Amino acid sequence: MISKALLTRVLEKALSTGADFAEVYVEHTKENDIAMIDNKVDSITNRLISGVGMRIFQGTRCVTASCTSLGEDDLLACAGRMADALGSVPANRTVRLTERLFGDVHPIRIVPQDVSLKTKTDLLKEGYFAAKNYHQDISQVKANLLDVDHQILIANSDGLYAQDRQIRTRMTVNAFASRNGETQSGSCSPGRKMGLELFDRISPKSIGEEAARQALVMLSAGYIKAGRMPVAIENGFGGVIFHEACGHSLEASSVAPGQSQFCGKLGQQIANPKLTAIDDGTIPNAWGSVNIDDEGTPAQRKVLIENGILKSYMVDKLNGRRMGMESTGSSRRQGYLFDPTSRMTNTFIANGPDRNEDIISSIEYGLYAKAMGGGSVNPVTGAFNFSVREGYIIRDGKICEPVRGASLIGKGSEIIMDIDMIGNNLDTAQGMCGASSGSIPTEVGQPLIRVASITVGGR
Amino acid sequence: MKYTEFKELVMTAAKAGGLTEYELYAEESETISAETLGHEISAFSSGNVTGACFRCISQGKIGYASTELYTASEAERLVHDAMENAAILETEGEAYIHEPGDDYVKVEAPAVTVPSAQELTDLAVKIVEASYAADSRIIDSSQSSTLFKQSRTYLSNSKGLDLARENAYTMASSYPIAQDGEEMFSGFDTKAGDYHNLDPQAIAQKGVEDAVSQIGAKAVPTGIYDVMFSNHVTAMLLGCYLSVFSAESAQKGMSRLGGKEGETVASPCVTLTDDPFCKESLNKIAFDGEGVATRYKDVVKDGKLVTLLHNLTTAHKAGVPSTGNGVKAGYAAPVSIQPYNFYMQKGGGGTTEEMFAHLGDGIYITELNGMHAGANPVTGDFSLASAGFLVKDGKKGGPVKNFTVSGNFYQLLKDIVLVGDDWELRPPMRGGACYGGPSFIVREMSIGGK
Repeated sequence: MISKALLTRVLEKALSTGADFAEVYVEHTKENDIAMIDNKVDSITNRLISGVGMRIFQGTRCVTASCTSLGEDDLLACAGRMADALGSVPANRTVRLTERLFGDVHPIRIVPQDVSLKTKTDLLKEGYFAAKNYHQDISQVKANLLDVDHQILIANSDGLYAQDRQIRTRMTVNAFASRNGETQSGSCSPGRKMGLELFDRISPKSIGEEAARQALVMLSAGYIKAGRMPVAIENGFGGVIFHEACGHSLEASSVAPGQSQFCGKLGQQIANPKLTAIDDGTIPNAWGSVNIDDEGTPAQRKVLIENGILKSYMVDKLNGRRMGMESTGSSRRQGYLFDPTSRMTNTFIANGPDRNEDIISSIEYGLYAKAMGGGSVNPVTGAFNFSVREGYIIRDGKICEPVRGASLIGKGSEIIMDIDMIGNNLDTAQGMCGASSGSIPTEVGQPLIRVASITVGGR
Repeated sequence: MKYTEFKELVMTAAKAGGLTEYELYAEESETISAETLGHEISAFSSGNVTGACFRCISQGKIGYASTELYTASEAERLVHDAMENAAILETEGEAYIHEPGDDYVKVEAPAVTVPSAQELTDLAVKIVEASYAADSRIIDSSQSSTLFKQSRTYLSNSKGLDLARENAYTMASSYPIAQDGEEMFSGFDTKAGDYHNLDPQAIAQKGVEDAVSQIGAKAVPTGIYDVMFSNHVTAMLLGCYLSVFSAESAQKGMSRLGGKEGETVASPCVTLTDDPFCKESLNKIAFDGEGVATRYKDVVKDGKLVTLLHNLTTAHKAGVPSTGNGVKAGYAAPVSIQPYNFYMQKGGGGTTEEMFAHLGDGIYITELNGMHAGANPVTGDFSLASAGFLVKDGKKGGPVKNFTVSGNFYQLLKDIVLVGDDWELRPPMRGGACYGGPSFIVREMSIGGK
C-alpha cells in the first residue's frame, strides 16, 4: 500500500515536534453489498475505501489526522499538521521499522472478491425466496449479502510494521408479515469472518425461513403488559444484555476518564457469583475476531469477570497510558477516518451451573425472550435498554403465548447482580456495534439465563 | 490526482464504454476537531476526505460503483464495475439520469468564519471550564468537543447537468458529568453554527442543567399516564420514523401511508414540513442526490397527508413530480429518500410552561433511548427507555428515570391533543438531515416502571 521508506519518513515527520509515539494506519477496503426487495435484485453497492489515519501521543495527549490520498506530499503534510498541532519543540528521532508476522488463524476458503456476482446473487435469492415463499402472509422481504475485504497496515515509532487482511461475509433477511392491515417483522442475519464457505455451514434457506417464522409468530402475538418481572433470556443474541449492561462499561474508553460504573472495581464482586464473562478476539473465523487489533497488538482472550469478580478491562494503548495498564489487544476502529479506542470483539457469558429446563420452570409469571433485537447503554449512568424481537409469556413454569412490543431496561451494575441462573447452551450471534471509533463487527453470546427481576416495557 | 482530473477520466471511460446516460457524484470535506478531558485538550484531529460515486444506465438498469482512490485505473474500474452491477439488477426501467432545466433556488454560500486550530481548542476548553464553574457537582471526568467542517458536493452527468454546493459550520458540544454519592449523571448539549455565534457559557450551562436536573430521579410506578414529549423528543421521533413518509417505503409496502394522500393520518393540530431552506438550519440545499431542485413542502397539513417524499424513481411510478428528496446517505450510497429540515409546525399550545399547565398531571418525557432497536419503522411499534420529569397540577416536578414508554407511531400521530410553540430545530443528525418541532401532548400512554 505504502512503501516502508515513506512510512518511516512520515513517522519521523510526525515525531518532529516532541511526540513520544507516532503511528500510521493504512486502510484498503473493498465492500460489496447486494440488496433485494420486491422479489428483485434492487441495488448493488460497490465501494473502495482507501486512506490513512495517523496519531501521535505526548503523554496522554493525542493528536490525530487522516487523509484519503496516499500521495507522498499529502502524507507528509498530514504528519506535519499533527506535529504542528502538538507543539513547537524541535525533536529529531529516527524510526526503524521491522516487519512482524503474527500469522492468520482465520482461513478463508472462498474469497468473495473472486466469486462472480451471479453466484452471490443466486445465494441471496435462495435466502430471499425461502422467506417470501414461507407463508402467504409474508408480504415483503428485504435481503442483503455483504462481503468486506478489509486490509490494514500499521506502522509505529516503536518499529512495528504489521499487516492484516480481514474478510467477512454476512447475509441479512428481514421478513414482513401482514394480515388485516397490521404488519410485523422478523429478522435473521448470521455473519462470519469467512468467505462464501459461510453458506456451506449455514444455508441461505435456513436464514430466510427463520426471518419469516419470526415475523409470522409476532403477527399472531398480543402486546405484553408492562411491569417488573423475572425474564429468561435465550442464548445467542440474548448476549446483547451483557454487551450493553456491562461490556461497554468495561472498555477503557469509559474507564480511563472515570466515566464508568465499574471504575476502580478490579478484584471486586460486581456480578452474581455464577457469572463468568469473556472477551475473546482469537476465535477462528468468528465475526468479531481479529489477528491483530488496529494498533497492531495481537488479539487476546480475556476473562473479564470470573465467578462474579471483575478481572480485566478492555484496554487500548492511549487509555492504557491513562490507566497505567498494558493494551489487551482491544483497540479497534471502523477505518482510517475514525480514531481507534478500546472496543469489544467476541464477548459472551460462559456456560453456568443451571439446567435450562429448571430456569423456565422456576418462573411463575414472566417473559421468555427467545430472540433479542439491539440495544444501547449510557456507560456513565449504566442505564441500558434493548428490545425483544420474539417473546413469550411464562406462566406456571411453562412457555405460553407469544407477545410483541417488549423492551427490557435497567441499570448495568444492578442487572448483572440479578442474573441469578445461568444455563449451559452457550451460543453466539453477530451484530454491528456503534461507538466513537465507528461501526465494527462484534459478536455477543450466552447460554439461557434468568434475570430475577427487570423492568419490561409494553402496553 | 485532483477530482476535476479524475472526473474527466471517468467521463471519458464512460463514453468509451458505449454508455450514453451516466453521472458522477462526489463529496469532499475537511474537518478539524478538538476534545477535552479534565481541564485540558486530550485529542485534536484533522481530516481530509474525498470520494466519488459513478452511476450509469446500462440495459435499462442503474449500476453503481464508488472509490476514494483517484487514479486512472480506478476510473476505468468504476465504469466497468457499474456496468457489471447493472447487468445483474432486475429493476429495468426504474432508473433516471436527470435533465438540466430545473429552477434551482439560489442558496448563498455560508458566510462562515473559519476558526483556527487555536480558536477551536480554546472554545472547547472554555466550555468545559464553564461547566466546572457552573455547579460544584460537576466532576473532572466531564468532556467537551468542538469541530469545524467544510464540505463540497459535485454532481455532473451525461445530459449536461453540472452542479456544486458547499457548506461549512462549527459545532460545539458539552458532556458534563455530575456526581451525587455513588451515582453519576451525564448531561449533553450541542450547538452548531458560525464560530462567532457559539456561546461557550450557554452550551456549558445547558449541559450542566441537563446533568444536575436528573439528580435524585425516582422510578415511576407502571401505569397509564398523560404524556408531554419535549421538543427534542419530537425531533428524535421524526428522525426515527422518517421512512414512514418515504414513497419508496410506501411503494414497497413498508409504510402504512401508501396511497393515503388527502386522507387524515394525524390529529388536526399536526402539520409536518420539510423545508430545504429553513432559515434556522445549517442544512440549506438546492439540489438533491439526483440533481433535482429541492423545494418547501408540507407533508402533513392539519392532519391530512399532502404528499410523501419522492425521488425520481418513486415519482415516475406514482405519476407525480419528484419532491427533490432523492438523497444519498454518503457519496457511495444508493439514491434513497430523506428530508432536509423536517419538523412539526407550532400548534398554539404556548411555551413549555404553558404546556405543563395544559398537561395537568402526567409525565414530561425529555429523553428516549435505544431508538434503533426499540422503535420499528415498519410496524410503527415502539417501546423505549425514557427519562424525564413528573408534572403535577400543571407544574414541572421532580426527575424520573428507568421507565419505558410504549405505543405505535401511526396511532401517536392521531392521538396528539395539543402541540406547543416551543419550537426548536436540532443540529444535523447522522445522514445530514435536521429534525425539529415543539413539544406535544398525548393522553393515556402506557408506561412501564417499578
